[in-house]
Amino acid sequence: MADLSLNGLSKHYGDFYAVREVSLTIADGEFLVLLGPSGCGKTTTLRMVAGFIEPSAGHVRLAGQDVTLLPPWKRNAGMVFQSYALFPHMTVAQNVAFGLEMRKLPRADIERRVEEALALVRLSGYGGRLPRQLSGGQQQRVALARALAIRPDVLLLDEPLSNLDAKLRQEVRVEIRELQRQLGLTTVMVTHDQEEALTMADRLVVMNEGAVRQVGSQRDLYERPADRFVAGFVGRTTFLAGTVEAPGRFRSDGGLALACAGGLPGRAVLSLRPERVEIGLQPRSGLDNALSGTVEFVSYLGALIDIHVRLSPSDRLVVQIANREGGFTPEVGQPVHVGWPVSAGQVFNE
Amino acid sequence: MADVALTQGPVAEKRRGEGLTAAALITPATIFVAFCLLAPLCILFRYSLNEFVPAKKMMVEAVTVANYVRFFTDPYYTSILATTVRVAVLVTVVCLVLGFPLAYVVARTQSRFKHLLIISIILPLFVGNAVRAAGWMTIFGSKGAVNASLMGLGLIDKPLEIMFTEKAVIIGIIAVNLPFMVLTLQSVIEGIDRAVEEAAFSLGAPPGTMFRRVLWPLALPGILAGTILTFILAMNAYATPFLLGGPLFKMMAPLVYNQFTQQANWPFGGAIAFILMTVTLLLTVAANLIFQRRAAR
Repeated sequence: MADLSLNGLSKHYGDFYAVREVSLTIADGEFLVLLGPSGCGKTTTLRMVAGFIEPSAGHVRLAGQDVTLLPPWKRNAGMVFQSYALFPHMTVAQNVAFGLEMRKLPRADIERRVEEALALVRLSGYGGRLPRQLSGGQQQRVALARALAIRPDVLLLDEPLSNLDAKLRQEVRVEIRELQRQLGLTTVMVTHDQEEALTMADRLVVMNEGAVRQVGSQRDLYERPADRFVAGFVGRTTFLAGTVEAPGRFRSDGGLALACAGGLPGRAVLSLRPERVEIGLQPRSGLDNALSGTVEFVSYLGALIDIHVRLSPSDRLVVQIANREGGFTPEVGQPVHVGWPVSAGQVFNE
Repeated sequence: MADVALTQGPVAEKRRGEGLTAAALITPATIFVAFCLLAPLCILFRYSLNEFVPAKKMMVEAVTVANYVRFFTDPYYTSILATTVRVAVLVTVVCLVLGFPLAYVVARTQSRFKHLLIISIILPLFVGNAVRAAGWMTIFGSKGAVNASLMGLGLIDKPLEIMFTEKAVIIGIIAVNLPFMVLTLQSVIEGIDRAVEEAAFSLGAPPGTMFRRVLWPLALPGILAGTILTFILAMNAYATPFLLGGPLFKMMAPLVYNQFTQQANWPFGGAIAFILMTVTLLLTVAANLIFQRRAAR
């Protein structure tokens, strides 16, 4: 039904590839998030789906139709913009009605569907107001209602939450997700905020330098990152630079001999998730790697504590522990023992 | 308590200080305008009510509306007013039609050479009206470049009459006024979020509909400002009609000048000046009201 597929989609400006051969299939009702740093091509990809940018190569298929060459006004794609892009000279109701008027619906149907859409985003009774009379969060919801009212084949969200304050953002995330599930809407969202991506997505696409680096669930990306970039971008990680001497044997630049899983001989980095490393005042036993070091820096985050441990002159590790009552309370300068199983680390050859 | 704190004490003093600074900032300009614009206007208005004795070429003090009556009862003068309004309206409409697309492209371009584009729009303003009109004379004259080429190519056998016609004046004033229109529109269009246009597209509006329903209403303040500016400039154009229109073509500004210098008839010249000013003002206000009523619809 309303599935979306991108096939070998590319966009280049001269020699510069903004997007390089992106192929994705988004199932009907799926919430897909394009995640990546700014300039990674995620927005360009979304804009090619919307029809604002003409791809240099490749195809976009929407609801069983090749829409690659169709202008945006002939695609049935609802878009929510980062700036909301509400029509400032129209009331909330006129904004929501705009797409329906373009579809030449009878007046009565338009009124009914505007009411429905506003009710959906809990803005019933706000129809007569102008956008500038609403708060940022309300404007965002009007933008959403306007995109939903046309019953789009696909909902496109371009950093829709980045202009909201942190507290509101957390609420709206859940709200949008629930609404999307309730309506069974195929949705593509673009964001650079990994927390946002992880909370909302069914499936994530990590992009960098115009190319897809990995597609998968939250767990896939976090537990089995495809490359160093994904490991560094999704979640936090410490990279220890060094060399794989033989599969399973890693020597850091600071001279630490570490056991690792696999790896090809040569230059590599060992990636360690901060919460998978154990720390304490006593030597850790039963772990593949056990080392000692000194606490160099502590950040107290409330529920969690980050501890930066100096292992050698050129190796520093971040360890994250839960802030439990009676738990370990690190102090700067304290000698500590750390350790981790082979499974906690991942080697990426360079 | 709070009121006391506001009217006395350091806060109130600071406010008074700000008031004084503001007064100091606007005073020089205000004095300049008062002496160099308002005062002459008042004197001129007083003159326009005086009597003129043609035999002695002398102004006689009086309070009479005879000069105004003379203007509106003589078809020669009313037809000059009609020509002026017609030319100004036509120029304004053409400037808007030509200027909007240009302003849009300049406002929306992401090119590195955008500033060059803007400079190239301003550049014509560096050439004074008289110099420009003189240049036009060499192009559009009966032996000018246009006619010489067309006749040389055998496309026409008699020279086209462009010089010393209303056509030449209209073309000339458009060339002078277009940059003002483009620059005014461009700055307003730049302030309209590009995403708003895209939103209209994504909701199913083709470009024409988007323009009518979104871009035009949002650009309306700029359209108003641009048309008013262009209209006022066209109504008061002096050098272009004088040089390109020839001796038989008459517009209001040259007429005013003629009354003052050639006829030495200050009362009548003053009356014509005031009529020109009032008509310009009334038409501007009327256009404003119509536009705004449309926008509010």
